[in-house]
Amino acid sequence: MATTAKNMKGFYKQTKSNITGGISKSKPSSRKVSPKHAATQGSDATQPAALISHGSLDVKGTLLLRKDYNFSFSIVMCLISNALVLMEFNDCNGYDEKEEMLRQFDMNMAYGPCVGMTRVDRWERALRLGMNPPNEIERLLKTEKVQQDCLWQGRV
Amino acid sequence: MASMEIDSEKTHERKQSDYTCLQDERFEIQKEMYRGQQYSQIYFARLHLMRTLLYSLAPSWKPHLPVCKVLGLEEGKECIIVGTLFKHMKLKPCVLDEYSKERSVTPLVKPRNFMHPDDSLILEDESGRVKLGGSALSPAVYVTGVVVALHGKETSAGEFVVEDVLEAGLPPQLERPLDHLKEDKYVLLVSGLSIGSNSSNPLLFQLLVDHITGHVADDEELGLAAQIVHVVIAGNSVEFPRKLLTGQNMASKDQSTLYEPIKELDIMLNQIAAGVSVDIMPGLNDPANFALPQQPLNRCLFPGSAPYNTFRSCTNPHSFDVDNIRFLGTSGQNIDDLDKYSEAESKLDFVERTLRWRHLAPTAPNTLGCYPFTDRDPFLIETCPHVYFVGNQDKYDNRLVKGSEGQLVRLICIPKFCETGVAVAVNLRNLECHTRSFNIQL
Repeated sequence: MATTAKNMKGFYKQTKSNITGGISKSKPSSRKVSPKHAATQGSDATQPAALISHGSLDVKGTLLLRKDYNFSFSIVMCLISNALVLMEFNDCNGYDEKEEMLRQFDMNMAYGPCVGMTRVDRWERALRLGMNPPNEIERLLKTEKVQQDCLWQGRV
Repeated sequence: MASMEIDSEKTHERKQSDYTCLQDERFEIQKEMYRGQQYSQIYFARLHLMRTLLYSLAPSWKPHLPVCKVLGLEEGKECIIVGTLFKHMKLKPCVLDEYSKERSVTPLVKPRNFMHPDDSLILEDESGRVKLGGSALSPAVYVTGVVVALHGKETSAGEFVVEDVLEAGLPPQLERPLDHLKEDKYVLLVSGLSIGSNSSNPLLFQLLVDHITGHVADDEELGLAAQIVHVVIAGNSVEFPRKLLTGQNMASKDQSTLYEPIKELDIMLNQIAAGVSVDIMPGLNDPANFALPQQPLNRCLFPGSAPYNTFRSCTNPHSFDVDNIRFLGTSGQNIDDLDKYSEAESKLDFVERTLRWRHLAPTAPNTLGCYPFTDRDPFLIETCPHVYFVGNQDKYDNRLVKGSEGQLVRLICIPKFCETGVAVAVNLRNLECHTRSFNIQL
């Protein structure tokens, strides 16, 4: 997560896409968060948990630069980074760009509902219905070790 | 087939025909595996396939109008939207009514038809839903599950006022070879035998069997029988004594009473199969699965008839070709369901509508049981049949429908044989049909 957010803009963009997928799920998933993570969550607003867990100098540096921005901005950043933390701790087993790409494929409405089908089946259905799904997805699903079930499998 | 010799020099040989049944594969579910999917998948497949079709028809219908998604509707902008219709019905029974806090007085007698003047239509695609208004689209005619294209505009109230409707229309039809048949050949359609029910008379069915196999004395009738090349039994062939099915263990005496109807049916089918090719389709009361597409009745149920290669147990719906004439038919569940949720002057109107909507059973899976397919909708009619039959109706009716591209379809409502004693014969040469009625006056 931190490595992909080299600049502030990139960081912000990353969180936005997570929020659409993640905020609605954060309530039930917060139950799964173990006590030690809860402690970091409840920490001081001026020192968001994300900074502590990331430990990346860039992010810290940029936040310090923006100390002169108004209060509401930093609140927003806290909320975003907290959500980010929750997302990260949920899928700490290999939530990387490949999974991100597959999740974007899951969420894409053009290929129909994703629940109840494996990703491969959904890709093949999209192919058969003439939607030209990206070949990259097929390659990932068939050749690499990625999660075969869709994003919501077992959660909905 | 066998030639019938009687006390005259003229021997009648049964006419031959070419029978193929390749389209039924899409109604078979042996290869399907249920993975916990919901019905959203079949609705998506239906919408996608129909939408592709409607998008190709829209430019020739209203060339200057843009096509947009429901979410892309702007107030006052005239456009075309394509989606699945949903009919909100006040009187439609809902399972949640059992749990409602207010116990309103529920009628003891279930209404046959759930329509109400307040029913409204909604159009839905994957981006959203919009309520439909205007008088161009009558809620009495349409049902949930039909995919249409609508021309209209959104009002300030958020409603989409419909000015015009585009249905998919009759699908393309394979050319009927023009002069291929010089002689009359008939396919006999019968349904609702209901063997084992109180109202069925075994003598009546025996008369029918005798007619088909040619065990008759009259030469003219023998000639008629020899012209039958194929027989289709469209559902509800047996009726089990339901009072025996109490959920408790059954005594062996009751068990043998239970399968008496099937044994009787097998004996009769044996006689028919020995003489002519016969297809049997499952119906609502038959020992097959409930959800459409109903799977073929198990061959073990017919130990006497199954060894014949003229005997075929088929799916419901059933599609087959005889001498290049395409037949498509169901045992009646699709039309009966339409009758409950919409209205028409005659049953044939429902049949014609399903053909124009290009979908055999639009109310599946909403109110009609259906298997949750993920990647296809097998009820979409891709090629126009030449004969479209529906079994187990109240009375015989038929109509010739002409399509805009020269398609010609004979629509047939087959009456219940146990009540009317009527079977329908379709002439392959000119698609004309007539009834053959059997009567017992004691």
